[in-house]
Amino acid sequence: MMKVYLGVDVGSVSTNLVLIDEQRKILHTLYLRTQGQPIRTVKQGLSRLENVLSQQYQVAGVGTTGSARNLTAVIIGADAVKNEITAHAVAAAQIVPDVQTVLEIGGQDSKIIIIRNGVASDFAMNTVCAAGTGSFLDQQAARLGIPIEEFGELALKAEHPVRIAGRCSVFAESDMIHKQQMGHGMPDIIAGLCEALVRNYLNNVGKGKEILGPVVFQGGVAANAGMRQAFRKAVKQDIVVPKHFGVMGAVGAAILAQEAVQRKGSTNFRGTSLIKQEFATRSFDCSGCANSCEVVEINMNDQVLARWGDRCGKWENSLTNVEKIG
Amino acid sequence: MITVGIPRALFYYYYFPLWKDFFQNLGVKVVLSSPTNKNIVNNGVAMAVDEACLPVKLYYGHVLDLADKVDAIFLPRLVSTAHKEFICPKFMGLPDMIKSSGIKLPELIEVNIDLSRNKRAMRKAALEMGKHITGNTIRILKAWNLAVISQRQFEHIQRSGGQLTPQALELWTEETGNATLGMQQEIPKVALLGHGYNLYDRYVSMDIIHKLQKMGAEVITAENVPDSIIEEEAARLPKRMFWTLGKRQIGAAFHFLKRPDVKGLIHIASFGCGPDSLVGELIERHMRRAKTMPFLFLTIDEHTGQAGIVTRLEAFWDMIEWRNAQCQ
Repeated sequence: MMKVYLGVDVGSVSTNLVLIDEQRKILHTLYLRTQGQPIRTVKQGLSRLENVLSQQYQVAGVGTTGSARNLTAVIIGADAVKNEITAHAVAAAQIVPDVQTVLEIGGQDSKIIIIRNGVASDFAMNTVCAAGTGSFLDQQAARLGIPIEEFGELALKAEHPVRIAGRCSVFAESDMIHKQQMGHGMPDIIAGLCEALVRNYLNNVGKGKEILGPVVFQGGVAANAGMRQAFRKAVKQDIVVPKHFGVMGAVGAAILAQEAVQRKGSTNFRGTSLIKQEFATRSFDCSGCANSCEVVEINMNDQVLARWGDRCGKWENSLTNVEKIG
Repeated sequence: MITVGIPRALFYYYYFPLWKDFFQNLGVKVVLSSPTNKNIVNNGVAMAVDEACLPVKLYYGHVLDLADKVDAIFLPRLVSTAHKEFICPKFMGLPDMIKSSGIKLPELIEVNIDLSRNKRAMRKAALEMGKHITGNTIRILKAWNLAVISQRQFEHIQRSGGQLTPQALELWTEETGNATLGMQQEIPKVALLGHGYNLYDRYVSMDIIHKLQKMGAEVITAENVPDSIIEEEAARLPKRMFWTLGKRQIGAAFHFLKRPDVKGLIHIASFGCGPDSLVGELIERHMRRAKTMPFLFLTIDEHTGQAGIVTRLEAFWDMIEWRNAQCQ
């Protein structure tokens, strides 16, 4: 059986699973909607991979990333747990070895990673505002009654993109409506929106960063041809969109899992049988002090796997048999 | 014995030894508000004016925490602590904001501290503070002079002893005096820049200092830089920086840029901080121009979800380790 490494990226909008081989070739990718239920979605993803996993491959290591990386790591038995910034940088550097700039726009967040000499040297992530991320494009496509898949293609038909205010999604929407009521064509408006979002991204997230090529554009929004064109125009150079642009976080997690297993020798993976296990979470307010921290407890078949959420570490450290992940 | 309450907020992190010693020398018992907790945050946010930054809002919560426990609350109006320099304007209005908040307050020990024109104004301010306790001018001045010695000791532990403010506050209260541990040069350091009341309040900062230490970083802050270096470095700006706290941050940032043992710099600011919107921008520009170390800017507000901060800190530390590994 062939040795593979599993990368799992559980984000706010999507959950991605990726299998890579020892040479870091991507064998399988899976894109699922998280729909607010990370544990269920991870189990669902694993059961979709169960067939290939039991017949052709042997999982030699698992890595998790994304905002639910710690939860997923406990459930699945991960060898590497990494933040999504590092995971994205690792994946981009693997696919495009001389990459210098990574633009990443996902469902709720956007980031820029500057890589010099193969090492991340700077990054930024959107702070309080999610304007210009995938969710906003989704919402605008729905308002205009255009399937999101065709949204970007439409922008390419624009002859004269109109100027849309991009600082805030509320302003952008009212500006779009004004332009549409004035009689501007749909492609021009959509292309204008893409340019506004790119402008907003470069001014906020990319503020003060030196964008040198090769530039890699990844994350779910890289599927949008209009956004790709707007970026090309704004940074005045070609942009590389990797084949598996939507699951790059998971690819990075898989690579990091391979490195972790090489260091420590074996995997913590629970095996696909975990699909059949009962995982339950419970939360309670600690009454130890005035902070009343919200503590979360993760159980597998009535056995406590992990606890977190307490500021002082009283609950987190109370378990002696917690598996060490790292 | 009467009790005087000092809110564990804002300039507590800079002047507590001075204030505590002064009142104690006058035979008063000093009571601190509890360390910031959920209740203090909730109360502060509910009572404060909307436009205030989080640290000012917290001050309300700390005053309320003390209000029914003490005979008087020390509520200074800090305008300036150095010649031709100023503290943020919000501090100037603080006593008025608190008085109009509707909190049922005990006696207030109010005093105007403005040393922008005349250093001797401090003596007058001390007398005004002491008047609330005793009519004996000589006793007040004696108490003040002794307190100033304590304050110097507290600053010395930080500037030359390499202790972070929370440890310095502890060491000082334990009266171990000049305990100096000094920093080991080999351990990669992360410099944290920001106002003391943000950095050292474990609740508000989401315990960033300990999070970094757990990852393996040694933390150094602007308070660990001797005053002479701050003055010298800040003087490199084309125009004099007149915000006292801003000057310390800029001076420290320039100094850290030159140090090979400092591997990265993190600037932490409250959402909506006026002076930091300028100071932070200046620091960031110089950092980017120098290109010698990674820089991270974090905004803090009322969030209790730690995921955003943790993700950025982890990625930042990964970056530093990655760079170090490549250098070796």
